[in-house]
Amino acid sequence: MVRFRSELVILISFLLTLTVIINAFLHKKQFYPSIVYLTKSNSSMAVIYLQAFVLTLLVGKLMNKIFFGQLRAIELEHLFERSWYAITETCLAFTVFRDDFSPRFVTMFTLLLFLKCFHWLAEDRVEYMERSPNITLLFHSRIVGLMALLMLLDLHFVNLAYAHTMAKGASVQLVFGFEYAILFVNILSTMTKYLLHTIDLQNENPWENKGIFILYSDLILGFIRVLLYLTFMSLMFKIHTFPLFAIRPMYLSLRSFKKSLNDVILSRRAIRNLNIMYPDVTPEQLSQYPDTICIICREEMTAQNGDNSQQIKKLPCDHIFHKSCLRSWFQRQQTCPTCRTSILRPPAPQQQANQPQQPPQQQQQPETEPATPLNNRIPTNPNFFINNNRNNIGSIPSDFFANMPGFAAPPLPPFAFMPPPLPPLNLNGLSDQDLNQMEGNERHNVEARIHCLRNISTLLNASMLQMQQYMNICAASSHLENLTQTKTSIENDLKFINIPEVTNKPAKESDETVTSSTNVKQVEEEDESDAIRRRRLQLFEAKSSSQN
Amino acid sequence: MAGSALRRLMAEFKQLTQNPPEGIVAGPISEDNFFEWESLITGPEGTPFEDGVFVANLSFPNDYPLSPPSMKFVSEIFHPNIYPDGRVCISILHPPGDDPTGYESSSERWSPVQSIEKILISVVSMLAEPNDESPANVDAAKMYREDRSKFNDIARKSVRKSLGL
Ligand SMILES: [Zn+2]
Ligand SMILES: [Zn+2]
Repeated sequence: MVRFRSELVILISFLLTLTVIINAFLHKKQFYPSIVYLTKSNSSMAVIYLQAFVLTLLVGKLMNKIFFGQLRAIELEHLFERSWYAITETCLAFTVFRDDFSPRFVTMFTLLLFLKCFHWLAEDRVEYMERSPNITLLFHSRIVGLMALLMLLDLHFVNLAYAHTMAKGASVQLVFGFEYAILFVNILSTMTKYLLHTIDLQNENPWENKGIFILYSDLILGFIRVLLYLTFMSLMFKIHTFPLFAIRPMYLSLRSFKKSLNDVILSRRAIRNLNIMYPDVTPEQLSQYPDTICIICREEMTAQNGDNSQQIKKLPCDHIFHKSCLRSWFQRQQTCPTCRTSILRPPAPQQQANQPQQPPQQQQQPETEPATPLNNRIPTNPNFFINNNRNNIGSIPSDFFANMPGFAAPPLPPFAFMPPPLPPLNLNGLSDQDLNQMEGNERHNVEARIHCLRNISTLLNASMLQMQQYMNICAASSHLENLTQTKTSIENDLKFINIPEVTNKPAKESDETVTSSTNVKQVEEEDESDAIRRRRLQLFEAKSSSQN
Repeated sequence: MAGSALRRLMAEFKQLTQNPPEGIVAGPISEDNFFEWESLITGPEGTPFEDGVFVANLSFPNDYPLSPPSMKFVSEIFHPNIYPDGRVCISILHPPGDDPTGYESSSERWSPVQSIEKILISVVSMLAEPNDESPANVDAAKMYREDRSKFNDIARKSVRKSLGL
């Protein structure tokens, strides 16, 4: 039905154009005057615009047939979504350049949009390479052909715009120049990904560093894109007016650059931690594990001595994984994928301001056995509670405890003895000297830090115990509630029985019933807040277990 | 060599076809794209969803298994933990991180140790025992709490519909 209708539109548009041209020719009889006649008449121009539009669509369809074949639903969806934005931005751009408005100008913009569509499609197609097990030769030749064509076109248009600007000064050509330059960067990034995927497909073994290559290429190209946008913005601002239509794409490119920068930082940190903190698993050790399937990729782990490609790492919780699998996981989460114990946490990105707390945690590692440190839910050392309170803390500013990140988050229910330290998150109070002191590498500094951490874990353990008690109390109190309810019902019954007496002796007894009923109310209220507290408690437990 | 996400999906598919869990069938919609799956879930016995065969699509991100897939019922289903548009909202499909509601413990959340099979099994148990504490479909949660017989009626209707009756 849709197909039929679109064919009808194409046919009508052709017929209309034909009549308009024949009409003009019949009127003027000669070529040049009839062209002038056509361009002067608004209605015939409208028909010709429509015809041009239809022709563009037809060419688009043809190119689609050649380079893509059938488009997938998700590709179409992306295409529509992005063209919607692109068209809005083009309209905005039109308002900026309304002085230059001409058929030539409209053609240029249509062409730009048209080529943009193919850039998006190429990007989606290359992404699809990772999703499909059947990548045919046809696929490769299509995508390579398309990318080469797009690259040449982009370069050509950049050149054209450059020459025009040099010869005639700044004009709307500047916009086209930058747009095509950015498209060129985009197709370069698509090309890089294509090459990486293709190399990966040719490899016999899994290629571990592919992810890192992708990260870095994203970072570099993202940086170039941001630079281009900034130059464009400042140039436009100088010679024309503020380019409103470029704000959204600029913002997007800034955001994606920030994201790739962040990814690179996280990945570097993950690699560093993996190298420093966790031991490699040797083939002999590996043979002692009953299950040698890496839980992340679901493939067998085989230790190949000396071969860098399949390193296996052991976490403090005794779970083993491929190093590369762990790296990509640690980029997102600093927990063991299997049991979710927090590994010693490197600074999360948003905590970079809290620098002073991080070095102690990391430096503590080599001092103690890798399996035990800070796994502080259950103290393994029987002396744990006894000997660590007084030693050497003096060298640390007194609010150091309070600044530990672990104490910032949990909303603790207000309860009895030994409240945990309050979280003043402000580090401004620390002088540079204090900071230096905390960062020091000498033995007593390190020792002090370890003591500090032990103290924290003691506190945590204590609060765990308290919470358990608290839970018991909660359970008991709900039991209590049942009791009080029975009590009130008995009292109510008693009240009925006692009515005559009450009327006789108004004062005391009725007072008592009143107080008892208010008591009941209080108990009920308390019980509600207990429920809330219990929920908070669960949340806190979950949080503290994921933080430790 | 194919990407790690694709390899893992293929491994899971193989595992699912060799030892299929009871009442669950799942696999990629097309052999050309392993990141879009279709699953058939039989309503658990002894619940109003019993005997129904519900179709749901699973859509995997490029970084699977580091991020969880998303799941969406194609069959019409009225349930506290399924959005009116069919998207499933259970903790195993949420990446660990901040949880504003405070209802989900992080141990139930997504991690690479989970799998498609575990997701589908959790969905079956979700059908059996809706969690109305953090509902995706507020109307369904309210009805489930307050008017169970009407809820069951609607559920049985959806069963008939899922069977094409
Ligand atoms: Zn692995
Ligand atoms: Zn573990």
